[in-house]
Amino acid sequence: MSSGRCVFLMGVEQALEYRVSFFLSMLSAVFPIIIQTTMWNYLYRHSDAAAVFGYRHGEILLYTLLATIVSQLVGTGFEGEMNSDIKMGGLNKYLIRPMDYKGYRFFRFLGQKVPRVMVTMPVMAVITGAAFWQGLPVSAGRVLAFLCSLVLALFLNFSIFYCVGLLAFWLTDVDKLFGTISIVLTVVSGGVFPLDIFGGLVEKLVNLLPFGYTTQFPVNIINGRFGWARMGTGFAFQIGWIFVFACLGEVMWRRGIRRYAAVGG
Amino acid sequence: MEVEKVKRIGRYFRLLGVFAKYSLMSALEYRINFITGMTVEVGWMLIKLLYVAIIYKAGTNIGILTPDHILLFVGTYMLMTGFYMLYFGNFASLPGMVQQGELDLYIVKPVSLQFLVTLRRLDFAYLLPELAAGVIMIVTGWRLAGLPAGILPVAGFVFYLVCGCLLTYSLFLLPYILSFWIVSVGGISDISNALWDFNNMPSLIYGKWFRRIGTYILPVFVITNFPGLFLMGELSPWACVWGVGAPALFFALTRAFWKASLKRYSSASS
Repeated sequence: MSSGRCVFLMGVEQALEYRVSFFLSMLSAVFPIIIQTTMWNYLYRHSDAAAVFGYRHGEILLYTLLATIVSQLVGTGFEGEMNSDIKMGGLNKYLIRPMDYKGYRFFRFLGQKVPRVMVTMPVMAVITGAAFWQGLPVSAGRVLAFLCSLVLALFLNFSIFYCVGLLAFWLTDVDKLFGTISIVLTVVSGGVFPLDIFGGLVEKLVNLLPFGYTTQFPVNIINGRFGWARMGTGFAFQIGWIFVFACLGEVMWRRGIRRYAAVGG
Repeated sequence: MEVEKVKRIGRYFRLLGVFAKYSLMSALEYRINFITGMTVEVGWMLIKLLYVAIIYKAGTNIGILTPDHILLFVGTYMLMTGFYMLYFGNFASLPGMVQQGELDLYIVKPVSLQFLVTLRRLDFAYLLPELAAGVIMIVTGWRLAGLPAGILPVAGFVFYLVCGCLLTYSLFLLPYILSFWIVSVGGISDISNALWDFNNMPSLIYGKWFRRIGTYILPVFVITNFPGLFLMGELSPWACVWGVGAPALFFALTRAFWKASLKRYSSASS
């Protein structure tokens, strides 16, 4: 466990290495929030949008504010490093360390999240407080459920992108492909808009597939859209998908490492 | 004198043709890279299309704009994004070239350094999906909204598109020229690129003051809104003039800033 703690602290240090870049990347998230909030305000004032989209005005605004933050919180970015490790032979040094590669990536990922969590938690607390004041059904139980779902979302997103990173064992040119996967998964996870506003098949797919459980599900807990029964089902799906991707990652690692040719003296 | 000028401009257009040819040849040499580049752009397009899908689902007008008009506006935004992405890679590599002294290689060539450095590599993988989707959306929105399709409206629309391209080049190059003055422009360029996304929705959705700032101070709204507004006959005479004046003004500004900044460049070679 002490090696895990060391890697975790390395992750914290790495995240704080480029502080200006870190704060500007957080700031750049404000722009899409302004665009989306303006659009939703306009639509809800000028049409019966609540009936069309199935979200009340307050719910969709809270969604817009929190989805961007949650999306950044659970976001990964280590898949590019994994590609480099696999392609350039950097994986060698991890193979002889007293911690497996997945564990190393996981603790580093968690460590990198600490500064972001410290900045975003007070912001989320203020937003949630304002939502409560505006009459949304925010309660202590709901906040607790939200935090639990956020932790599970972090695990789930790590598991998904760990598998994505392992694709580098089989594919030669993955840098841009990872970019595409990352953008598409942000969209299908509800990181831009909640996809269940499109109803029908899209809503069913969002409920069945794992991606919505990384962003859309936690946010819909805190904005009061989901009842306790729906939350229970959602938690079961989150845990189930974590298990599936953990197993998939294990299989991919075992098969991939057999293909891996260590380079270097 | 005038003939000389025309000859020089012609030479630069021919040179641009050569850059395009070599960029395309290079893209076709690394086909997988070309295809994955296209998929990245398709991913970004997906987000833009979501905005259109929401507008159509709501079925609401935004001021004088029906969902069909908005389809045309977002199509214009996609098309302009494609053109911007065509040469964006050159902007992004400018800070590295300044810091590592790579400009030395280009500074001695007998062409404009700004032209060479900012347009030498053209990325068709990013242009093609945006171009295809943008043109389809523009044509569909145009027809569904019942907008005039005579020679004058089409010529005016294309004219403001060309003005928008010049404005995009000038306005968004400015933050990268700062790399001659400061070490890291990453943050500033991130913010300026984020400004581009305000065109995801027509400017009419924003408040009056926001619109004025985005039209006259940091004229990002001019780029993708003016062609559509011209087509609808909603551009005032003053706005028609600004649609031409803003690109000319910002191009002159960028040119002057480039020349002033270049004096600060210290060669890295021995």
